[in-house]
Amino acid sequence: MRFRLTTTLIAILPLLAAGSLVLRAQEIKIAGRPLEVHGSFSQGFMYTNQNNYLTDNTTSGSFGLTDGSLNLNYQIFNKLRVGAQVYDRKIGAIGRGTVQLDWALVDYRMKDWMGFRAGKVKTVLGLYNDTQDSEFLHTWALLPQSIYPVDLRESYIAHTGGDIYGDIPLKKLGTLSYTAYAGQRPNDLTGGYAYALGAYVPTIHVTSYTGLQVGQDVRWATPVSGLLLGASHQSQDVNGKGIMFNWAVLGIPDGSPFREGTVRDFTNQFYVQYQHRKLRIDGEYRRYWRNHSLYFNNATTPFNIASDSRSWYIAGAYRLHKRLEVGAYHSRYYADWNQTHNFRVETFTGSGDPPDNHIFDWTLTARVDLASYWNVKIEGHFMDGYGSPDSVHGFYQPQNPNGFQRTTNLLVVRTGFNF
Amino acid sequence: MRQAKILLVVIGLMTVATGNGPAWNIKVIANPSVKGDRVSIRELKNVYLGKASALSDGTPIEPVLARRGMAHEAFLKQCLDQSNEQLQLYYRGLVFSGKGSMPKEVNSDAEMVAYVARTRNAIGYVSADANTDGVRTLNIESPASRKLVTRIEPEYPDILRANRIGGVVRLEVTIAANGTVQAVEILGGNPILAEAAETAVRKWIYAPARSQTTLEVTIPFEAR
Repeated sequence: MRFRLTTTLIAILPLLAAGSLVLRAQEIKIAGRPLEVHGSFSQGFMYTNQNNYLTDNTTSGSFGLTDGSLNLNYQIFNKLRVGAQVYDRKIGAIGRGTVQLDWALVDYRMKDWMGFRAGKVKTVLGLYNDTQDSEFLHTWALLPQSIYPVDLRESYIAHTGGDIYGDIPLKKLGTLSYTAYAGQRPNDLTGGYAYALGAYVPTIHVTSYTGLQVGQDVRWATPVSGLLLGASHQSQDVNGKGIMFNWAVLGIPDGSPFREGTVRDFTNQFYVQYQHRKLRIDGEYRRYWRNHSLYFNNATTPFNIASDSRSWYIAGAYRLHKRLEVGAYHSRYYADWNQTHNFRVETFTGSGDPPDNHIFDWTLTARVDLASYWNVKIEGHFMDGYGSPDSVHGFYQPQNPNGFQRTTNLLVVRTGFNF
Repeated sequence: MRQAKILLVVIGLMTVATGNGPAWNIKVIANPSVKGDRVSIRELKNVYLGKASALSDGTPIEPVLARRGMAHEAFLKQCLDQSNEQLQLYYRGLVFSGKGSMPKEVNSDAEMVAYVARTRNAIGYVSADANTDGVRTLNIESPASRKLVTRIEPEYPDILRANRIGGVVRLEVTIAANGTVQAVEILGGNPILAEAAETAVRKWIYAPARSQTTLEVTIPFEAR
C-alpha cells in the first residue's frame, strides 16, 4: 500500500482545527465590518478490487485524495463585496499539489434582480459545479462522476471574466434566478486531459489549454416548497498547444508542435432537486457535444474529431439522525452516444453497451457528522465499464497496462474539516 | 397592587403554557429604522436565503442569525423550512463558491436584541417571551394570510401598561369571504391582553376572497 499523505498535510489537520476555534472565537473587523476567513481540508482513501482508478494505484489502496482551500470575504458596504480563495488538490497524478487561485472577485449587487461579478468567478453550471470542491457540502465522498468527473474539474470550474446574475421574485410562482457569464477558462495543465495526453504513447506534452467560455443558467424555485428546476448552457472555444513525442510511426519527429482548436463545443444541462425536511432527491442530465481539430507538426489540414457524450444521474439522501445521513445514486456516462446506438454494435459481441464507451455507477454512502466542522464518509461504488481512452473519467491506461476489466468496485473513505 | 401584578403575570404565564393550535413561539424583531409592522414568511425566506436584500416595500434589510436555541429551531422550522444543518451548508456553499457571505450570527436572545437595536436595517428573531426593549416587533404573516384593509389597534389596558406587563397574544381568526371577521378564538397570551386584542380584531376588515379563511394572528403588546 502506498502512503502518500505527506507530513505537511498531516500538520495541516491540527492547524485547521485550532484555526477553526481561534477564528470562531475572534471576529476580525476592518472599518467596522467583519473580514470572514473560512477554510477546508479533506483527505480520502480509495481501494478498488480491479482496475486502478483516478491515476493512482488504488488496487493496492491509496491515500491519493487530498484537497484544501482557504478564503477571505469582505463586505465593503451592503451592495459591494470582495473575496478570494486559494485551492490545492492532489488526486493521484492530477492536481500535482500546487496551490492555485480558485476564485477572486468583486461582487456588486446593484439590485436583487441584477448584480455583477468580475474577476475569476466560479462557473454556475447545474446543481453542483461551483461547489464540487467542497466535499463537506455534499452527502457523497465523490459526486456522480458522470457529470462531475474529478479529472475534468478544470474544464468547467471557473472563468476569468464576468457574470450578470439576479433573483426575480415571481410572487406566488416562486423565484427565478439567473446567471449569464463570459470569460477565459483556466489554463488546465494539471487535469486529467493533459495528463492523459502526456501519459499515453504516442505522447503530447500539453503546454497550454484554455479558451473562451460563454454560458447561462436559469433556475426556478417553484411554488412547491423544496422543488427546484433548472437548465444550464455553455459554449466554449478552446485552444490547446503542446509538443509531440514518440510519433515516429507517422513520421513526425520528437519535439514537433501540436495544436488543437474547437470547431463546435457546447454543454447543455438540465436538473431537478426536491428537498423536504430530511429527504433530498437530485437528478441531472448533461449533453456535451465536442468537435475539435487536431493539427500535427504545423499541418494545415487538421484531423477533426467529434463526440457526443451524454450523462445523467439520480440521487437520494436521507438524514436519519443529526449526525448520520445515508444516500444512494445511480450515475450513467456514455462517452459517445452515437457509438452506443450505431456502428460499435457490430464490433462488440457482448450484451448491451460496450464497456469502453460507458461507465455506469451504483453508489451507496453513509456520512457521519462528528461535529459541525468535521465529517467522515464511507462510500461504495459498483461500476460497470471504463469509458473510452479519451473519456478522461477515472480510468487510464498507464495505471492499467494489462487492459481494463469490465467491472470495478471502489471503496472511498473520506474525512473533511471546514471552518 | 404588587399582589395584583403577580397574579396577572401568573395568569398570563399559565394561559401561554396551555395554549393550543399552531404556535408562533417566536417574535421577529427589527431595528427601529425598519418601517412597516409586518413581514411575510416569503419575505423572511428570501432575505435569509440571500435572494432579497430588502422587504417587499423596499426597506433594506440585514438579516441576523442565531447560532442555536429554541427560537432558532422554531424560526428554521416555521419560516425557512430547513434544519440548522441544511441552512449552514447552504451558507457555506455561498461562501466557498464566492457567491455570498455568512450573515451575522449571535449566541442568545439578549445578544440578538442588542445587535438588532444598534444596527440600522437589522432584522432578527427571538423567543416570544424575550425582552425586546429597543427594537420593533413585526407581525408574521403566514402564507395563508389575507390582505388586511382596516386595522384597529387594540387598547393596552392601563393597569398592565402601568405595571409594564406585556406579551404576545395569539388568536385564531376566521374571516368571511366578504372580508369581515366572523370568529375569534384565543390561542394564548395574557387573558386581559387577549380580550383587548379580540375586541380590536373583531373590527378588522380584510380584502374579499373566494372563500372563508382561518389564520393565526399574533399581536404583541410591548411594555415600555
